[in-house]
Amino acid sequence: MSSSEAVRFPKFRPRALLASRPFLTVLIVAAVWIAASVVKPGFGAFGHLRYLVELGAVVGLAAIGQTFVVIAGGIDLSVGAIITVSAVGAPLVSFAFDESGAFAALITLAAATVIGVLNGLGVAFLRAHPMIMTLAMATFLQGLLILLAGGSAISAQSPLLEWLGSARPGGVPAGVIVWAIASVLSLLALHATPFGAHVFALGANSLAATLSGVNVRATTVAVYAISGLTAGMTGLLLLGMNGQGYVGIGDPYLLSSIAAVVLGGTSILGGSGTYAGSIPGAVLLVTITALITVVNASPGWRSILFGSLILALLLISGRESRRR
Amino acid sequence: MSATESASLRLYWPAQRQRNRGAGGLLIVVAAFLALYAYLFPGLLSVGGVAKFSQSWLPLALVSMAQAILMLAGGVSLAIGAMVSLGAVIAATTMAGPLGVAGGSALVIVAGLGAGAACGVIVVRLGLPAIVVTLAASFIIGGGALLILPRPGGTIPAWLSDWLAGDTPVAALLVVLAVMFWKLYLATPLGLSLYAAGENPDAAYRAGVPVDAARIAAYAVSGLLSTCAGLFVAAKTGSGDPVIGEAFTLNSIAAAVLGGVGFLGGRGAMRGALAGSLLLSVMINVMYFLGFPPVAHYIAQGLIIIGAVALPEFTARRSSP
Repeated sequence: MSSSEAVRFPKFRPRALLASRPFLTVLIVAAVWIAASVVKPGFGAFGHLRYLVELGAVVGLAAIGQTFVVIAGGIDLSVGAIITVSAVGAPLVSFAFDESGAFAALITLAAATVIGVLNGLGVAFLRAHPMIMTLAMATFLQGLLILLAGGSAISAQSPLLEWLGSARPGGVPAGVIVWAIASVLSLLALHATPFGAHVFALGANSLAATLSGVNVRATTVAVYAISGLTAGMTGLLLLGMNGQGYVGIGDPYLLSSIAAVVLGGTSILGGSGTYAGSIPGAVLLVTITALITVVNASPGWRSILFGSLILALLLISGRESRRR
Repeated sequence: MSATESASLRLYWPAQRQRNRGAGGLLIVVAAFLALYAYLFPGLLSVGGVAKFSQSWLPLALVSMAQAILMLAGGVSLAIGAMVSLGAVIAATTMAGPLGVAGGSALVIVAGLGAGAACGVIVVRLGLPAIVVTLAASFIIGGGALLILPRPGGTIPAWLSDWLAGDTPVAALLVVLAVMFWKLYLATPLGLSLYAAGENPDAAYRAGVPVDAARIAAYAVSGLLSTCAGLFVAAKTGSGDPVIGEAFTLNSIAAAVLGGVGFLGGRGAMRGALAGSLLLSVMINVMYFLGFPPVAHYIAQGLIIIGAVALPEFTARRSSP
């Protein structure tokens, strides 16, 4: 409890800053960037770092919803499937009057949110374990996807998606701008609203939260809805950056969203953490992936390196205090 | 001595009844699906039918046991699929070589025990969350499988494939054997500690239960079961594939949860997990038999998992307010 209070009412103390997990993750990212650019000069170029942050926006957006769900004591294993559904589904929704593609994007986001709400209803009312509910949803969506796409890639042309994927107002990629706005909003929601306090209470002890008058069911549905919404946004951003959607496009982002949340210091057991940690967590993950690509190893070694680095980072920053 | 023996006998059957209680509804559903399958496909009731069906069930049964033992100990593994792949590629690359079937099997067993125990030590001794450690482990183990066999290939001696996955119901016997080994394991000190360590580790520790050892052993046994499932999959297909196990991770969790094994440790029983895996396996077979398109498979599987998990909740709510 004291940790969430410290997040809500920050007092500046240098030692507290060093003990802060989000800050620690930022330090690790900075250290990796500096070390990598010393070893390989091209790595530290502004363009490359900007590209890394742009890739980080994709992971980071997916990690928003995952952070809410994990803090509330759940886990969302359908993130990858929802990303794929929105990336494959968005091109299928097009209307003649909708020239900018904004209406199609809105419908896609609404559909993604509805999927999240269904997850939340299953967890809150059917009392299905989050892992099994979202897993079943992912399986269900996989069937739906084959129905939608028939296994082929679908390309998308709309001004909005093109702007998302390639526009750089003021040198900042549009995806990063979207990520920044979404990050500020979610940080405010998590740390400065009653809803955020309810999410923490629910994750720390759902029974105590119920007895304290928190509407546990509504809060549960809301966090999964947020996860669905941000996964939908991730799908649209990916579609814009890739130009086409295909079955399986979202699969890598399930594991990265969870890893980003945990590397950022949010407890996988729920009840403590902050999205401020998931932001550097997402950038860190993307950086690791980029470094491994630079090494130019075989797929087997690349996979081993990725897993070992995540384990090593966990040892540095991810120790759970022993509690159940 | 005799007093404790009679006391343990008096405790045995109530404990068994308690463990059966949650699985009742599931067993009815499984029986209904089996009856439907036997009605659609009368050949199921012959020796060859049992052989074919048990061959499609055995790998799922083994990985469900692997997942259930971890969940009983208060853990979970997202590396089951990678372990299955590892077992498959080790079997496919060594058995036809100088090591022979015995050496290859020994390697599969050692790899499973070793990789599982390594995960266990990291989770238990270093206090890291199991979900994330096994997630990272799935990359490491999956990468190892890719190094051993970069693309599908390798061979399994034909006689072994015929013996394990031919017309005789060896696979059904192996399921029975696995259940017997599980009963034996539960009778060892480590097995006895398993439920206690999962249900309430602090209380178990204070009561003198070797909590850490029990949990690490659970991870090792889980790895062993997973790589053995890989060996069988390789024998069934006659070759190895470094990514063949991927689907098993989610299916193992689904089967264990369908069977009433809880995520928090100490809740549920192995018979439930086995029944859950049987349900999934029969369901897939029935849908193939009816010629459902793959789309329907996924959709039906998702709906049935949610339904089976939600059903006890509804019945429980009616009986106790």
